[in-house]
Amino acid sequence: MEETYYMQWLQSIHHLSGKSARKVLELYPDPGELLRDAREHWEQMFSAGQGKILWERIQETRSLQDMQEQYEKLMEKGIRFVHERQKEYPARLKMIPDAPLGLYYKGKLPGAEGLTVAMIGARDCSEYGSYVARELGKYLGQRGITVISGMARGIDGISQGAVLEAGGESYAVLGCGVDICYPSSNRNIYDILVERGGVLSTYPPGTKPLGSNFPPRNRIVSGLADALVVVEARLKSGTLSTVDMALEQGREVYVVPGRVTDRLSDGCNRLLRQGAGVFLDPESFVEELEESCFLKRISPIKEREKGISMERSPGEEGRGMNREKLPELSAELLELWQALEYEPRSVADIREHVKNTLSLQQCSTGLMQLVLLGHARQVFSGYFSKV
Amino acid sequence: MYSTIISGALLGVNACMVHVEVDVTSGLPAISMVGSLGGEVREAKERVMAAMKNAGLSIPPKHVTINLSPADLRKEGTAYDLPIAVAMLEAFSFFKQGSATDILFLGELGLNGEIKPVRGVLPIVREAAKQGIKECIVPAANAREGAVIPDICVRGTESLEQVLCFLLSEGEEREKLLPVSRVSIEELMQEGQEANENDFAEVKGQEAAKRAAKIAAAGFHNLLMLGPPGAGKSMIAKRIPGIMPPLTLEESLEVTAIYSVAGQLGDRSLICQRPFQSPHHTISAPALTGGGMRPKPGMISLAHRSVLFLDELPEFQRSSLDSLRQPMEDKKVQISRVGGNLIYPADFMLVCAMNPCPCGYFPDRNRCRCTQPQIKQYAGRVSGPILDRIDLCVELQNVDVLSLHEAKSGEDSASMRRDVERVRAIQAKRFHGKRYRFNGDIQAADMDEFCSLGQEEMRCMEKLYHELGLSARSYHRIRKVARTIADLEGEERIRTPHLLEAAMYRPAQEVWKA
Repeated sequence: MEETYYMQWLQSIHHLSGKSARKVLELYPDPGELLRDAREHWEQMFSAGQGKILWERIQETRSLQDMQEQYEKLMEKGIRFVHERQKEYPARLKMIPDAPLGLYYKGKLPGAEGLTVAMIGARDCSEYGSYVARELGKYLGQRGITVISGMARGIDGISQGAVLEAGGESYAVLGCGVDICYPSSNRNIYDILVERGGVLSTYPPGTKPLGSNFPPRNRIVSGLADALVVVEARLKSGTLSTVDMALEQGREVYVVPGRVTDRLSDGCNRLLRQGAGVFLDPESFVEELEESCFLKRISPIKEREKGISMERSPGEEGRGMNREKLPELSAELLELWQALEYEPRSVADIREHVKNTLSLQQCSTGLMQLVLLGHARQVFSGYFSKV
Repeated sequence: MYSTIISGALLGVNACMVHVEVDVTSGLPAISMVGSLGGEVREAKERVMAAMKNAGLSIPPKHVTINLSPADLRKEGTAYDLPIAVAMLEAFSFFKQGSATDILFLGELGLNGEIKPVRGVLPIVREAAKQGIKECIVPAANAREGAVIPDICVRGTESLEQVLCFLLSEGEEREKLLPVSRVSIEELMQEGQEANENDFAEVKGQEAAKRAAKIAAAGFHNLLMLGPPGAGKSMIAKRIPGIMPPLTLEESLEVTAIYSVAGQLGDRSLICQRPFQSPHHTISAPALTGGGMRPKPGMISLAHRSVLFLDELPEFQRSSLDSLRQPMEDKKVQISRVGGNLIYPADFMLVCAMNPCPCGYFPDRNRCRCTQPQIKQYAGRVSGPILDRIDLCVELQNVDVLSLHEAKSGEDSASMRRDVERVRAIQAKRFHGKRYRFNGDIQAADMDEFCSLGQEEMRCMEKLYHELGLSARSYHRIRKVARTIADLEGEERIRTPHLLEAAMYRPAQEVWKA
């Protein structure tokens, strides 16, 4: 148990990377020794700044007793801690460069078995992005595939919400302490995650969601998964930094293609051009993933060789996103419905796309009818989108 | 010697008669003024004395007492200069006693004896006519303004000497010295209606917004326009007064009186076009609703019977916007002072415009990078109670240059006004004997009487209520707007399509929440 107290204490020191923490462990296997040692030693071993931080913490912590108390306080709050020497520590995480020494969590930890997928994307996503995230999340949830994400606004939260709604398992890696729900608008997701999945963080409880905390947590998101799906990303975005981490960690990266005119898909399309996997529909994505993970497991070194064939494999017919059935509607409403997109469109725009000449009023009332029937959504006063 | 001259005081946009009394006695030479006088009225004696001297009139050193009666009414403004001068001239027997009886005098004096324009001539002359006074002498610059009142002769004067000459002469000669100012009300009204510079035909595209503007103007509903910068929000707002029915003479006099009191009439004699007021967003609450140390009508009164346009709504100070709440309910502003209460009418249609988000391009996600919390916060800057009073909300599209060339001009103001006038006529009949006149003002208690729904419509309304998560207030609002739409379509009863269209225009507040 003493080891766990020690590990937790080290993990709780802000700005101490996994690497440095391991160095400390190596030099001072016994925490008592560490507490007794003089400051000069520290400053020689670490950079002046890090040495100082460590020294200050040592000054605060007088004895082993303090370390234990600190740990027990966490337990009382329902917050767990796992470190790399314990067998519960996620196996996938051990493989990544600069793996954290330990993790704080509420709920459960992701298991080593079964496929695990990380879903990430823009916070201020489009209707298209949120649709894909919802559909994929739902599918993965139904298939029992674990989904890792960051519980952020937009794609992250939408996918996790969809997974949980479909009865699946999901884990969130936060950029703040696990006791803080950030953003607070995702409170409902947070609560269910704590019940049915888990909320993880490398930051000690009480840490505020500072902007600088998020890039480092991204490596945990990708590190916990077998593959990463990017749903929507702008050219300059935090999402792309996660992709870099994932590639460094040797994770599969899949990208949802978007229209070349959509700025929110620019990042995605760029990744596709660089050779990322193409996400077309949930079924083939999972099939492909299962195959590659299986191959990896039997021959991790061997490159995946897969012939490209133009023929569709059996069962591929009728697949793809957005293959929804035409709703049963009157001819006029149906035409209006077909003119709708997942992107909000103005009434005037929709009217132009309808072959029959409808008056503006007919168009508006028809669209409102679709809203009432649950086939459309009024995004803004005069803007409608498909549901 | 004693003399009394009639003048008038403003009470809000109304007036009452004031008698200027002058008494001259022997004693130590002095002039004392009494009668609850404001600072500028007190200063009148200096102006009067200098003006008389410079007009070549020498005043003997006597003890002069000047009283403005009723003495408990607070007197303000500079319009008492001329009546005081005339009363003194009479008291000193510069002209025959009784020559100035039954004539109302108004005007500010310059030190050289010239007479300068004053505020509020129209309401005072109107009150004088009501009291049976037959003749007024007002500053020349205000003569046309007073002349619109029937049954009273209004003469404009430029100097004190002219006035004295007038009072010294009689009969025909008087008419030659200061001719009665005349205006043709019919001509003015005609001109006013024709001089409509802004036409809706100039607004290309934006059919949805034009439709909403028409509905709003027809039922006197308050309107909110959302849209990216440069989409034409102000352009549309400016054209709304032009599609309302022309002002009636009675309304015209009401509006002119307010402008006269505010001193904003300029050289116009009668305002025959519905005014359009568009205050800058830095406006303070008193400037918007009226008030100040010397109370003056605010922007909302200047927009009486017409449109008050608030562009960039979220930039307005919350306190300014909140001050609109009471006047919007009461259709008037009450300004309470120790000296008494003033009432300015303020029956205006509120038209607001704002960007949907800080950058203005939401929901076009290719251009808008505002985050959801930012958008919410931006919308949250608009005072909720004001949004609650808005019946219609419409989003304008971004127009690109190409489509500006291609777009049809669509409906013009004249045809829109015909529709609006038709609906106004229906409302005039419908609300005969009610306190209010427009669909936009239907009270919740009268909802069933005027906005009754059939079975099918009831079901639609219920569905709307549940699907869109409406509040009770927005439920009523939709019915009111549907009433106007039904009137526009020429239908006796509200039908489902009317309800659906009205629901589409429900204020963005609810849409934002989603």
